[in-house]
Amino acid sequence: MMKVRSGQIMDEATHAALASGRAEPGLGLFVDSLMAMRGISDLAAEAIAGAALECEDSTELPPHALDMVFAAIERGPQPTTKRSLRYPELSGLPAALVDAIATAERGRGWKAATRGVSQLQLNLSGRARTEIIRIEAGTAVPRHSHKGQELTLCLVGGYSDGRGAYGPGDVSIADPSVRHQPKADDDGACFVLAVSDAGFKIAILDWFR
Amino acid sequence: MVGSGSSEGRLAGEVLAQEDRVRFADLLVAVATTQDRAAFSELFNYYAPRVKSYLMRLGSDNAQAEEISQDVMVTVWRKASLFDRLQASVSTWIFRIARNRRIDVFRRTKKPDLDPEETMLLPSGVEAPDARVDAMETEARVRAAMKDLPSEQLQLLQLSFYEGLSHREIAEKLDLPLGTVKSRIRMAFSKMKSRLDEE
Repeated sequence: MMKVRSGQIMDEATHAALASGRAEPGLGLFVDSLMAMRGISDLAAEAIAGAALECEDSTELPPHALDMVFAAIERGPQPTTKRSLRYPELSGLPAALVDAIATAERGRGWKAATRGVSQLQLNLSGRARTEIIRIEAGTAVPRHSHKGQELTLCLVGGYSDGRGAYGPGDVSIADPSVRHQPKADDDGACFVLAVSDAGFKIAILDWFR
Repeated sequence: MVGSGSSEGRLAGEVLAQEDRVRFADLLVAVATTQDRAAFSELFNYYAPRVKSYLMRLGSDNAQAEEISQDVMVTVWRKASLFDRLQASVSTWIFRIARNRRIDVFRRTKKPDLDPEETMLLPSGVEAPDARVDAMETEARVRAAMKDLPSEQLQLLQLSFYEGLSHREIAEKLDLPLGTVKSRIRMAFSKMKSRLDEE
């Protein structure tokens, strides 16, 4: 497990892969969350895409398209002004993350993994596995290794694994050579965002090498 | 016909004027706070045909692009309360929804692989000096910088940041050496960044 404090500036290819959606959506969410938690904005890259949308041709839609949209809006749930999450301490996280958590809670929801540990798998597309893991205060996750590479962003609370201590905004990376037993701090539950490639290789993880 | 009238499917339209971006943000806030249908209709009339073009540019057929663009607009209505004008313009916000929806739909048919040669770096841990600058200002500066770029550099940025082509794919599409594509994109993006850092 390697703790990553900070790194180089992203290159243009990375900015573009994340902004355009070519990169794994799980990694996009990971980087957005990380940057939001560290107070970094990467609006410029996405604003290029937003401005491009303004320059886009206007392709005609059928005349009834708007009515169909209003009909779909009436069939479905009305706009939610407040998302109530199962764990209120998560509601202060970056908006995209809160939204993904709220959506996942309405779907499969939290699943118990081992004693004191539960997981919420986020329903993102792409091949990476993206989940929120909650570790009860003072609980140790059973010693384990990793099938592939795994990136972890500490969201709330803290944990340590004998190699380092992690708090909100800290990133760590594990690969199959790592065997460890993370333990949540005693003063409260710890939540992390984990993105793993489950055996296949995502080039973006080479960031951290 | 998407991209007709331009040799490489360039984007021919113009960006919104500052006052229109402000007004669109007002309209979206009205959708969020009072479920204002007239405000939504106006946003629909501007964005739905553009989202449809975006989807067709990236390979959807007409029927699929229509269906997805309507889906995107339903999401715009439902998630309007999550829009924050200090974080992004309406265009950027809707682009993200369209981008994510497209990925959802296409996940089974196409796997967007990254070029193995692309090096990916961790975002800087250094806090931007003015990280809380109003998004309206950033969005305006990005547009101003885009206006000043030579058209071939602008096209490269759009292919890369909007259409999501890799540097290699762009080199093949435009029949340019890979190194030229890389250096031009780097130059264009750094011009943009320096514009954002200006006082």
